[in-house]
Amino acid sequence: MNLIEWGLAGATGVAVLGALVALLTPERARSVVAGIAVAGVGGAGLAAGVAAIAGEEFTAHLPELLPLFGVTLTLDPLGGLFMAVAGAVCLVAAGYGVSYAGGGHGNRSRSTQATLPLFTLTLVLVPAAGSVSTLLVLWELMALTSLVLVFTDHRARPQVTSAGLWYAVMTHLGFVAILAGLVVFAAAAGGDTFETLRTAQLSPGLATVVFAAALIGFGSKAGLVPLHVWLPRAHPEAPSQVSAMLSAAMVNLGVYGVIRVGFDLLGAGQRGWWLVVLILGAASALYGILHAAMASDLKRLLAYSTVENMGLVFLAVGVAGWFHTLGEERLAALALAAGLLHVVNHAGFKTVLFLAAGSAVRATGSRDLDALGGLSRRMPVTTALFAVGALGAMALPPGNGFISEWLLLQSLVHPPAGAGVTTALVLPVAVAVVALTAGLAVATFVKALGVGFFARARSRAPEQAVESPPLLLATTGVAAAACVALAVAPAALGPALSRATGATLGVPTDVVSGALTVRLAGIASTISPLLILAALVAAVVVAALLVQVVARRPARRREAPLWDCGAGPPTPRMQYTATSFAEPLQRVFDDVLAPETAVDTHLASPYLLARMRYQRRLPDRIEHWLYRPVLAVTAAAGRAARALANGSVHRYLAYGFFGTIGLLVALVVIP
Amino acid sequence: MIKLLNKIRRTGRVAEPAPPRPPLSCPKAERLAGSVQLRHVDAGSCNGCEVEIGSVFGPVYDAERYGARLVASPRHADAVLVTGPVTRNLAEPLRRTVAALPEPRIVVAVGDCAINCGEFKDAYGVVGAVEDVVPVDVKVPGCPPTPEAIVTALRGLTGR
Repeated sequence: MNLIEWGLAGATGVAVLGALVALLTPERARSVVAGIAVAGVGGAGLAAGVAAIAGEEFTAHLPELLPLFGVTLTLDPLGGLFMAVAGAVCLVAAGYGVSYAGGGHGNRSRSTQATLPLFTLTLVLVPAAGSVSTLLVLWELMALTSLVLVFTDHRARPQVTSAGLWYAVMTHLGFVAILAGLVVFAAAAGGDTFETLRTAQLSPGLATVVFAAALIGFGSKAGLVPLHVWLPRAHPEAPSQVSAMLSAAMVNLGVYGVIRVGFDLLGAGQRGWWLVVLILGAASALYGILHAAMASDLKRLLAYSTVENMGLVFLAVGVAGWFHTLGEERLAALALAAGLLHVVNHAGFKTVLFLAAGSAVRATGSRDLDALGGLSRRMPVTTALFAVGALGAMALPPGNGFISEWLLLQSLVHPPAGAGVTTALVLPVAVAVVALTAGLAVATFVKALGVGFFARARSRAPEQAVESPPLLLATTGVAAAACVALAVAPAALGPALSRATGATLGVPTDVVSGALTVRLAGIASTISPLLILAALVAAVVVAALLVQVVARRPARRREAPLWDCGAGPPTPRMQYTATSFAEPLQRVFDDVLAPETAVDTHLASPYLLARMRYQRRLPDRIEHWLYRPVLAVTAAAGRAARALANGSVHRYLAYGFFGTIGLLVALVVIP
Repeated sequence: MIKLLNKIRRTGRVAEPAPPRPPLSCPKAERLAGSVQLRHVDAGSCNGCEVEIGSVFGPVYDAERYGARLVASPRHADAVLVTGPVTRNLAEPLRRTVAALPEPRIVVAVGDCAINCGEFKDAYGVVGAVEDVVPVDVKVPGCPPTPEAIVTALRGLTGR
């Protein structure tokens, strides 16, 4: 047995054992058992994924596990990359979950704690699926286990139930799309395993249908606009370590699915597909970050940021497919590597952000940025960790998100020679989208960090917050250290990215190389993150020394209270809130966001105002225009269908009779 | 063209010749060395004095050529110009404004109301004259004081 076999077998064993033991142990020890099991599964997944990237091969067929087709598992470098990311995220989240649930804050119920290891197992195993039936079973298991985890706190907060219902419906509609697409594919190919599918010759029309179904199904899991509506509801309502697992590991599998089906199984297919992927990715990136910039709920903001980052990844994947169909293999590899690197980076910083935000929510009991503030003094370590994550999410140097967005921009600004009009139109627009997204991300995370953690406390709860226990800080710290490592030495991932893109595109290229300086294949651009960091540190040190020198001059300073225009000391209510910080942006994007404002004035007399109430809501416009009508029609159809079932047994018997007759007639008539 | 340029050059210099330098009216002003930055506080004035202060810093009287200048914050100022009787709501802000001045904190009471409440003496919202709230260094009487009187008082601070 090689390392992958050991890893996957170990992960399965640990998960099942952990789930069973968690069912039996008393409440006090349950979260520890679940945490150990999740850590075991995550660690095994990480090891197996790294082994697959390193070049180990693995294929297994277990015919007795599933009726008819059996289970086929196989792992290549592309799957290995996603498996390693999922394993690493779960490994970190495991330790966090033990402490999070231990302090009486999280839910320690049997269902939650026993589901955690199983959910981790599905996250790790989905990239190893080697046949349609295996993928569908694992995908559905992942949906169900994550659904249980989203419902965790449904007794404490009523909105959890609504979020869970949205998630349940959306994930199953996505599953139906994947099922339909892949089953049609398998039927046309005459086999179920991915190897058979690769060799299948599909007509262009059928291939487009398969790809569209896969894009809808996998895209809904990744939060692609307009299928994103469940994501900003469900991710924030889950316990924080589960939020991290959903937002940093599960959404990636949507990307994995599109890459697997589009590039690998369908052989990159037609150029138009990738244009659609590119446009949807760009729309998701813009729409996601715009709503994140407006959000005043800390975890909802992070969830919308996930939509944004997945949009960027899809944009990169779309560009890669576009170049691939143009025959520009090097640029395609570069764009795909940028997308994959962004998956890794996003997993890193989103884990840090959700875990640190979870610590803040645990300490204050509030997710509302307008009620937080002043945490930097009460919780300095958590604030520093959140800052590391926010720096990554801002896509500014020296954060880790910067490197992958830089790679993406490099692949966009070097168009192939002799490209057509569409390429010349699409690439500059994509560059503009990435740039606008990066700018809005800066505003978003300045708001999250500045309003949520700095300044003065806006309510009683953050004033009395205490720093989180060491295990929460340590696990978040590990993830933050990984972010720093990714930011400083992204070239270390070069071989892994090269292998994964090589396995996907079928052309092995050394796409990203170098040690201190990142070099790109076929493009003269280089970047050295370590030197950028060194220059920044040097600049900060010099500035600090200069301030010291200037401030150390003869002491002619006088301590005086802050000048407050004579009106008394400023109160915390005079600070910028998340809402007021986002207000100018909201004005700029008024036509896109369409905020609903209502002002009620109550007059005491014709001249005097007694009371005034101002309300602003920012409904998700896509949800409003796309989903409400569908929901209304469905509800109306449901009400109308009640007439069919009026309680009469005779009528039901007649339905059965005519149904059978109709079926028999149909079978006779249709040859 | 040259003629036009010369005219433009001369325009900024059109002013009467400066009168002889007056002696300093306040010992604290010695440290200011001829330049006084002023913050104006309306403690409850009818705005008559404000109109006159406005014309003091207008093109006709132009107090800035004597080294006096209005600023927007007591942190930037050497002296405060207080107008009007001190009303209840402005008593505390006035104290804080004077406290926010850097040393040597000069207070100029402009107008009869600032000196002795004038027309508003014993009114229900009035705390008292400026002197009752903060120590006053220079007084400019008049209802309202003429711009010449205000300019003379300011020249007493700048010594120019």
